[in-house]
Amino acid sequence: MPVYKRRYNPYSGTLTPQWSRFFVLTRYAFAELFKSRFFVILLILSLVPILFFAGYIFVANNKTVQLLMQVRSTGLFLVENEYFTTIMIAQTQAAFLLNCWVGPVLIAGDLTNGALLLFLSRPFSRADYVLGKLAVLGLLLSAVTWVPSLLLFGLQAGLARNGWIWSHLWMIVPIVLCSAIWILMLSLISLAVSASVKLRIVATGVIFISFFVPAGIGEMYNSIMGTYWGRLLNFTEMFRLILAKGFRQLSGNEIPVPAAWGVLILVCLLSLVILNARLKAREVVRG
Amino acid sequence: MLGRLMNATIELNELEVQLGNRTILHGLTGVLKSRAIGLLGPNGAGKSTLINTLLGFHSPSKGSARVLGLDSHTNGNALRSLVGYMPENEAFISKMSGVRFVRYMAEISGLPPDQAMERAHEAFVYVGLGEARYRPVGTYSLGMKQLAKLAQAIAHGPKLLILDEPTNGLDPPARKRLIELIGEIREASDICLLLSSHLLHDVEETCDEVLILRNGQIASICNLAEERRANRKFLELETIGAEATFTSTLESLGCECAVFSNGRIKVVMPDSVEIREVFKIAADRGVQIRRMNHRRDSLEDIFLDAMEHTGAADARI
Repeated sequence: MPVYKRRYNPYSGTLTPQWSRFFVLTRYAFAELFKSRFFVILLILSLVPILFFAGYIFVANNKTVQLLMQVRSTGLFLVENEYFTTIMIAQTQAAFLLNCWVGPVLIAGDLTNGALLLFLSRPFSRADYVLGKLAVLGLLLSAVTWVPSLLLFGLQAGLARNGWIWSHLWMIVPIVLCSAIWILMLSLISLAVSASVKLRIVATGVIFISFFVPAGIGEMYNSIMGTYWGRLLNFTEMFRLILAKGFRQLSGNEIPVPAAWGVLILVCLLSLVILNARLKAREVVRG
Repeated sequence: MLGRLMNATIELNELEVQLGNRTILHGLTGVLKSRAIGLLGPNGAGKSTLINTLLGFHSPSKGSARVLGLDSHTNGNALRSLVGYMPENEAFISKMSGVRFVRYMAEISGLPPDQAMERAHEAFVYVGLGEARYRPVGTYSLGMKQLAKLAQAIAHGPKLLILDEPTNGLDPPARKRLIELIGEIREASDICLLLSSHLLHDVEETCDEVLILRNGQIASICNLAEERRANRKFLELETIGAEATFTSTLESLGCECAVFSNGRIKVVMPDSVEIREVFKIAADRGVQIRRMNHRRDSLEDIFLDAMEHTGAADARI
């Protein structure tokens, strides 16, 4: 109906499948994000290390270039599990910074003026809502962690030949699995903070605090009690422990890996509890 | 299917809702069959809780509520797909343009993006915000925000429109326009309305049936359409010297009389009886009529009557 015909019309057209509607949130969130020049710059900067890592892999597999660079040592350019651990650490830190910028606004914007009620008064559950917001961070952080890491893995496999891929295929599991737990934890923490704190700068600060303050408390506990269990509160260290074990490296950490997994999963659950408490559709009941 | 569902717009069956340790709704039972239902009651009567329960936001602690034939608790999702909701409080995304905001909401309701865009433009023009549709909603005036909320509630073509205090904070012309719009929406389709308002006049203008709540209980369910059809005329008299013979003579003409203290008499007159006949009988009986108020039964009477009968004569709305 043309808009100039001012008349109310019921809708009788087709509807999108229920399961796909969470992605509407993701789509609109990305559209808003890409309006920000700062975000685009940050995203590009997050991917810059990948170019250096790719260049390194190229040089490592190209004897001509090594000769041109007058590299004599054969052990200087090694692309093994240590190298991929370095890639993962660099990219997960980039993901952390990206998350600190994007995460705080995802839910706060809907809570500030009560728009959440409008989402939930539709055939759209709180789980759909969280899934839609989680997908924003999931896709974004994937684009700077496991996706480029796998591409680098593929590049190395393509350049190295000699069956390198078959002897290193196991590395795909830690690349994907470690990225997944890190992305999930970061996303849930920032969504929980976004649901609780409306101001972006404060929310970003809270995300930093949620990583560094428990780590500091843990170190204090270790010093006072003469133990090492306080490291459980250092989430970044717990992630690196999982990463090191995943890439079959010695970590030098006494904390058992299942305990590290337990801590990260606990943080995820705690964030979900906060989200569950904060994301309510009800209006204030007067009287 | 819809015809069967439409038998009862809202059906409450011993509905009890507890929030925390407090019981807010106490065993509400009633069937509302009209297309346009008004929800009235003093502050704290449980109107918002009832709306939230009908939308499936609160689970009943006992009993059930059915809307358009669907249980609000067990069929919440299916029910919400039939509903357009305009909440009382602010509800918008301030940085989004009006039309984008409505399109977004329509897509969440399940409309494909191109359809959602078309419907968002239609809804915005329809509510009279066509010129302002590309401005961020945060820059709108209060009245415009109310209209934007209405636009998002109708864009996806709901079967039931729930309006919670839609005219709150509007100036008289804007209020009049909004009430007209609601009336137009009602007339233009088979959409049902549930209107919660403090303003009796708004409910009277738009609704056929009224549910009056007080202290979480049903004070009255009144079918305004039937009341209007009955077209009853009322006389409120203040008299001196009126005795039983005066009222019995009026009753013999077909009037219904209710005698109150201090000579106040309320007379329900059939159409065939003229007022001058009342004067004539009063003169014949030597009754002085000191004041006469001639009017039809209004929603205000119904509301006050409901409040009096439930012992809340002092309740204010």
